[in-house]
Amino acid sequence: MMGCFGLDGDRSRRLKSGFFERSSPALQQILLQLLQDQNPVDIDHHLYEFGSVEYRVQTSASDPENIYLSISTPILTPRTLVSQGLCPYTIQKVKDISPDVVDILHPAREGYQLTLQLKPAHIPQGKAGAKIIKEIAAVASVILSSQLKEMLRNFSSEDAPEGTYKPIKCVYHPREPLFVNRQPQKITVIFPMRFKDTSDVVIATSFFQELMDIGSSEAFSKAPACTWSPIPPPELRGELMEDLSTNAGFVSFDIFSRHVDDKRLDKTVWNLLNFYNYVKSYIKSTKGFIQRKMRGRLEDLVKILHKPDLDEDDHEQKIRGCGWKIKPVSSSRFRKHYGDFKRKIKRMKYRIRIHGFSELNKKIKRIHHQIKNRNFGLRSQWFSTPKFHSANRYTRLE
Amino acid sequence: MSSSVEKATTMRLYLTCIRNTLEAAMCLQNFPCQEVERHNKPEVEMKTSPELLLNPVMICRNEAEKCLIETSINSLRISLKVKQADELENILAKKFLRFLSMRAEAFQVLRRKPVQGYDISFLISNFHCEEMQKQRLIDFIVQFMEDIDKEINELKMSVNTRGRLVATEFLKQFV
Repeated sequence: MMGCFGLDGDRSRRLKSGFFERSSPALQQILLQLLQDQNPVDIDHHLYEFGSVEYRVQTSASDPENIYLSISTPILTPRTLVSQGLCPYTIQKVKDISPDVVDILHPAREGYQLTLQLKPAHIPQGKAGAKIIKEIAAVASVILSSQLKEMLRNFSSEDAPEGTYKPIKCVYHPREPLFVNRQPQKITVIFPMRFKDTSDVVIATSFFQELMDIGSSEAFSKAPACTWSPIPPPELRGELMEDLSTNAGFVSFDIFSRHVDDKRLDKTVWNLLNFYNYVKSYIKSTKGFIQRKMRGRLEDLVKILHKPDLDEDDHEQKIRGCGWKIKPVSSSRFRKHYGDFKRKIKRMKYRIRIHGFSELNKKIKRIHHQIKNRNFGLRSQWFSTPKFHSANRYTRLE
Repeated sequence: MSSSVEKATTMRLYLTCIRNTLEAAMCLQNFPCQEVERHNKPEVEMKTSPELLLNPVMICRNEAEKCLIETSINSLRISLKVKQADELENILAKKFLRFLSMRAEAFQVLRRKPVQGYDISFLISNFHCEEMQKQRLIDFIVQFMEDIDKEINELKMSVNTRGRLVATEFLKQFV
């Protein structure tokens, strides 16, 4: 699921376990560490997580057989409170973990809703033990979801009088209340959305619009209908002004009976409780995605400014030459070519001889001799080389 | 389809106009400060001597997109206003331009703070022109303007696509 948030595997796993898994990873780790420790020591851990959930883990060297775990969660609404601060469903769920290992202390420690007495000696080794620890670490989520679960479970009960459908405000986190409005056919869960940063508001708003579009498509006709409105929906008419002042509008989910049947109730409640965290996680990962994109683009822009000059390259090319070379000829090949050429010239100089015509040959010989003599005279006359004097000539000084 | 072609054409014309103006305006020379001895300051910023300043030129594509070119004897200042059609584009443009301004040293010519009324400003001195060449600087400015528009559009599309995927995943949990 978190893959689409643009997170790498490890981070997505950590984030998933931190926000969306029911068991507290920190509490799980502390309990496992306590089980592994052989020497009993005095420990008093205080943990705060997941909105305003508080854990206190106590062990004593004088009483090594018991670990005391106290849990305090925000109370969604005073209407769901029963005696001892917990509904029977929660008590039953806690007892179901392992009767030998977990006991509920009465009364709970001061300032906490529930105190559990854990007996480490009865926790089995291996996977079974790890499973029990995981279930103990998820008790807070059981308490939290049980309150909303109770409200949604009584969907069909007609305890509300006709015509008065006043929304119930649930304060799961001081800054993140939600409203549950019961109507004859449906329950509407309304989330007033507030964010500190303007960019968060814009990213969240675009997400809500997408959520509304997707929710209205045929593929998700079975999912709860989702609506987003920048102004308070009519169901919240008459509520306090401070509850109605938001900067990112209101997101509403219409829950019908099919969404809260035995199979889906648990999942529906958990998803609704985590809606704020889901949106926050999406905003955070989107900001990271934008940052990564911007960093990549920065590098590209800097490259344009500092790229090597094209003119310089051309100039360099010109200096290097046009690219063709004189092929070196081997000395033997050159000698052969030169010898052929010399022989041709020599042949041209020879006088013509015709076989079988001795008289004619004699005549030709004579003519050739005469031409040779004349040529020599001409050559000596015409090709007399002029005498040049060097410009750098100097006269020796006496 | 025809509107996108028209948009591309107007964008090209706008960029060509900026390119031509920059080519004409980027005739910078070394000029020491007239007020302070042995100082060399960008006159377009100091504005101490009006005779060293040229008339500023403003090129507008529309109300949301404009470019101001202020020229002096030894420096040139280019200020840009980038298109922001909706809130998401506005946030993305602000984020991106702030991100770039904070890393101004990587560009040398980028001003850390934009001129009032604009989203981003560049300051080019005669030394920048000598070091990086006039043509390359003009290419960079024009390319920068093209890329900013492209990047903001791409980011907007990516954010919306991611939003759709995440919304789908959320609603899948109910089904």
